[in-house]
Amino acid sequence: MLSIMRSEWYKLRKSWVIWLLFIPPLIGLFLGQISMGDIGEANQWIIKLVMANATYALLFLPLITGVVAGFICRYEHQEGGWKQLLALPVTRGKVYLTKYILVLFLVLTMQLLYLGSMLILGAIQGITDPFPWEIVWRSILGGWVATSPLVALQLWMSMIFKNFAAPFSINVIFTLPSLLVINSERFGPYYPWGQPFLMMNIGGEGDNFFFIPWEQLLMVVGGSFIVFFFGGYLYFQRKAV
Amino acid sequence: MILRLLAVDFLKIRRKGLWLLTFIGPIGVVALQMVNYGVRKDYLFSLTDDHWQQYIGNVSAFTPLAIILGIVILTSFMASIEDETNAWKQLIALPVSKREVYLSKFTMISCLLFVSSIILLLMTYFYGLTLGLGEDIPYLQIIQYSLLPFFASLPVLGLQLWLATVCTNQAIPTTVGVISVIFAYSAMYLPDWVIWKWPSLDNQWDQPYLNGLMGIAMGLAIYLIGMTDFKRRDVK
Repeated sequence: MLSIMRSEWYKLRKSWVIWLLFIPPLIGLFLGQISMGDIGEANQWIIKLVMANATYALLFLPLITGVVAGFICRYEHQEGGWKQLLALPVTRGKVYLTKYILVLFLVLTMQLLYLGSMLILGAIQGITDPFPWEIVWRSILGGWVATSPLVALQLWMSMIFKNFAAPFSINVIFTLPSLLVINSERFGPYYPWGQPFLMMNIGGEGDNFFFIPWEQLLMVVGGSFIVFFFGGYLYFQRKAV
Repeated sequence: MILRLLAVDFLKIRRKGLWLLTFIGPIGVVALQMVNYGVRKDYLFSLTDDHWQQYIGNVSAFTPLAIILGIVILTSFMASIEDETNAWKQLIALPVSKREVYLSKFTMISCLLFVSSIILLLMTYFYGLTLGLGEDIPYLQIIQYSLLPFFASLPVLGLQLWLATVCTNQAIPTTVGVISVIFAYSAMYLPDWVIWKWPSLDNQWDQPYLNGLMGIAMGLAIYLIGMTDFKRRDVK
């Protein structure tokens, strides 16, 4: 397992994906720069984070994780890479799991760099209010947890389609409606693509560790994770290479 | 010659899903409003008296995002079809100029986008009729908000087509597309010269036509730059 991990890392290390990691902090700087206004909150950090997190988690995060998942399958789709990889003494399950863990790791790095960009922005703008570390951690980790089912679906779709645009269009078709769905108190909590927003929305419910109730986390995030992850897993077991 | 190239290009995208996406885009944009009005029509109606205005506003909140993502997907899809089979080489080996190849691709994607804008126009109009939004139907505005985003997004098309054709790694144009859509979503915070703001038809003079005109001019310029670069590059 470790050696597969290492070989996957070698494939990525010198690739363009490293540059991809710097896009979230740049987007963070942009979103933080444009967000200002009065939302009945004294702490300047919270104002910035509420507004920047909204666009970031609603649109950017679900879309970019799809790009990362597609990227992870790129080498294998070219010139019969799946054949070469699976001819090695590895099981398909481990290859799948490795790729999934790697995408999750990259997304976590993106989340941390995004957090970093917020700190930098605050320093530039000279915000002196105390940084709300506790809620920020919860939202950064929450956003990461909430994308885990979406990553699984994107990985599944990226394994099916050789064409990069096909899994991306599926991602777009599911992500755009969440702009509307999250406004609904009735349907919002059940839409998997809306969860990154709800879990990064630091103005949301504050009683739990995350910003959504535990039942919702288990049922919606957990449930969609199980469907997408094992769907992809079973598909990959049977995939003709 | 260009017509025959175009016919070939349309033949290549048959049964690949591009036409399907062309239809899904506008239908999806209006379908979202069907859900929106289906769930909370009374609430939406209670907010304002000008129901048509509000309805057009709701639809056109999604149009720029859909059209930009549509451009990203269609250009990248088209390039992938050529990349997958190493068809660029074969295409260039034909007795056609590279300029014509590029023009044909640009025209094909423009046609798809224009068709989807027409569908958006029809869907917006007919679904609007069923809602009972009032007797005064603002035809001109429906036409403006359905067709002008197409013209206003031509610069984005020029940019994405260029990226998709020159990059072998389609993750690059797609990532640029994701950034573009964030800009389009934050359009109201951007200055008027930013091309990703234009599909929203918003500008400081309140003249939607201006965005369409700027789009045509800038789209032409970016198209020419992309074509010149494509012509000079080695085929992969």
